Amino acid sequence: MNSPNAKTVALPYNRSRQAREAETMLDHLTDDFDDNPAAMAYFYDLFRRAYCKGESLEREGVRVGTTCIHAPEELIYAMGATPVRLCNGSYHYDQVGADFMPAKSCSLVKATLGMLSSENVIPKVGKLDLIVNPTTCDQKKKASAMMAGMGHQVYDLELPPAKESEQARVYWQRSVREFAQQLRSLTGKKLTRKNLMAAMARTGRAQAAFRTLHNFRRKSPSVVLGKDVFLITNAYFFDDIERWTEAVEKLNAELVQRDKDGFCAAQKKAPRILFTGSPPIFPNLKLPLLVEQSGGVVVADETCSANRMLYDMTAVDEWLVNDMVDSLADKYLKPCTCPIFTNNDDRIRRLLELAKSFAVDGVVYQAFAGCQVYEMEQRSVAEALNKEGIAMLYIETDYSPDDMGQLTTRIEAFLESLKSRKRKRA
Amino acid sequence: MNYFAGLDIGSTAIKVALVGEDGKIVGVHVSSSGSLFHKNAKEALQNLLTKLGVDKDDVRYLIATGYGRKLFKEADDSISEITANAIGAFEAGKAFGGVRTIINIGGQDSKAIQIDDTGNVSNFAMNDKCAAGTGRFLDVAARTLDIDLEELGDYHFNGKGAPLTINSTCTVFAESEIIGLLANGHGKEEIIAGIHYSIAKRTVRLAKRVGIEDRVYFDGGPALNKGLVAAIQDELGRELVVPEYPQTTTAFGAAMLARSEFMAEQGLEKA
Repeated sequence: MNSPNAKTVALPYNRSRQAREAETMLDHLTDDFDDNPAAMAYFYDLFRRAYCKGESLEREGVRVGTTCIHAPEELIYAMGATPVRLCNGSYHYDQVGADFMPAKSCSLVKATLGMLSSENVIPKVGKLDLIVNPTTCDQKKKASAMMAGMGHQVYDLELPPAKESEQARVYWQRSVREFAQQLRSLTGKKLTRKNLMAAMARTGRAQAAFRTLHNFRRKSPSVVLGKDVFLITNAYFFDDIERWTEAVEKLNAELVQRDKDGFCAAQKKAPRILFTGSPPIFPNLKLPLLVEQSGGVVVADETCSANRMLYDMTAVDEWLVNDMVDSLADKYLKPCTCPIFTNNDDRIRRLLELAKSFAVDGVVYQAFAGCQVYEMEQRSVAEALNKEGIAMLYIETDYSPDDMGQLTTRIEAFLESLKSRKRKRA
Repeated sequence: MNYFAGLDIGSTAIKVALVGEDGKIVGVHVSSSGSLFHKNAKEALQNLLTKLGVDKDDVRYLIATGYGRKLFKEADDSISEITANAIGAFEAGKAFGGVRTIINIGGQDSKAIQIDDTGNVSNFAMNDKCAAGTGRFLDVAARTLDIDLEELGDYHFNGKGAPLTINSTCTVFAESEIIGLLANGHGKEEIIAGIHYSIAKRTVRLAKRVGIEDRVYFDGGPALNKGLVAAIQDELGRELVVPEYPQTTTAFGAAMLARSEFMAEQGLEKA
């Protein structure tokens, strides 16, 4: 029998390891840089509330967690549910999640599992009614059973291993139709042309705001820093989509003004970096932060936590709802540059195109130790970039902060070599 | 007289190099880093100046490099040790007919750097956060075998049998592997040669990643170890250029950069 004096000790959340980890990162993002845009306050505050204070951001109605950008969020919105992207960037949860996966596994998958297994799920969006897990890399595939084992309702959205063939396309279209059925039985709502159009308008407006922001980064010197853009796209994971869109539009308006005033977010000679590989997810913004602390500026990215997630918009002009779902499926398969696909020349084309149109000086390639597909594609990407005379720095890392000193040296040396290259060319 | 200083605050040792206006080395100094990086670095600089009888005010420009570079606020500028190493090796390598590839083994990391014909870094690779194949590895091994670090080179050449294979790439596990080999009655000589080959193999793999071109320059503290030099030459299949003071190449590079920065500023003032 419990003694009447027995009490559980409730530790204040803001003193927990994950809260302090988030706080340290936010402090760096805000305090290490002068002249942060005023409109960024919305995002800094959002992360402070959600991650440092553990404030509830509970969403009403049906909540659908997603573990990948392949889950079509338009379908989720159309059925009146709210998508929440669960991919996690916390070193704390990475350590918790280590119990579930082999030692040399990807930090992202471990952290996501670690978070889902904890009582203290951050951000606090409320209990998830369903987790949709696209069958992408092996680790995410196997994570599905583990999430189910934790008591979550998991739906495996089957993704083909290739994307160019006709059979892959048909296979994926059927998967997406099945998913729509699943959502229907979950929400009790019917998918109609009307609600799907409305959903696409919502995500479309958000994506349009992102594109405007993305295009600001073409300017040289840049008017906005990459660390802020990563934070913004990270907020898209869990923020209310309308509020998020308004906040980005507000920032865009401020950037127009800054540009008119001749404001520069980075030095004129700051090397312009294209970031690719494993996605930076808050609080693990370690690498983009180090680049910008060392005097570089991340002007573009090719990652699934930012550009790949938001760049490609849906423009469906089919008349029948089933055809609309099929074309929506195409949008999620065809432009995707994820390394899980057998043939992924599109990624190289995308990188070369971004490098050119954003006047990039060098590429930083992040691979989480254990993320085999990114580790394996490193070679072909480096070859393609070097052939075009673009230098690439390949960094294998994880969520732990213990390699910061060494990474600083490597990044600074890389930036120094880009500068001397530029001087030589001039 | 104007002097220019390079201060390389490494994980294990602090290296200072002083050059004159002509770009020639006036003096170098190596001391232990300890745990008080900033204090020890200041002392190391002062010791060298006192030894050479150089007045502090005659040091016109100082560039800090190495792990502790950010802590030394008295410096005029700081630069990553990779760039500083490249400059130092490029300048020092001229006496050997020019070098294009650098292998550096430090206290806690190892690097391979490729430079172009003007001394700029064109490519580099570094070990991923782990002390395997670094100076620390040699340190631990010497301690396990109960001999001095400086003796490793002599032992290397005195073995009767072939070098043993050390498979562990982790410093901690390698230590237990070494103890295991000792327990099996193997001689220290063969074990040490094995350790050198194990480091050499890792280092050469790193160098191949950046591409080996022209003469290969080997520096850092472990380059003082003749046994390790021999093992790397074996694995590489070519001779290495080892400078007289391998520990201070990076500090020298920082000093040379300090010199050219000072000259450039002077040039601007005169113009």
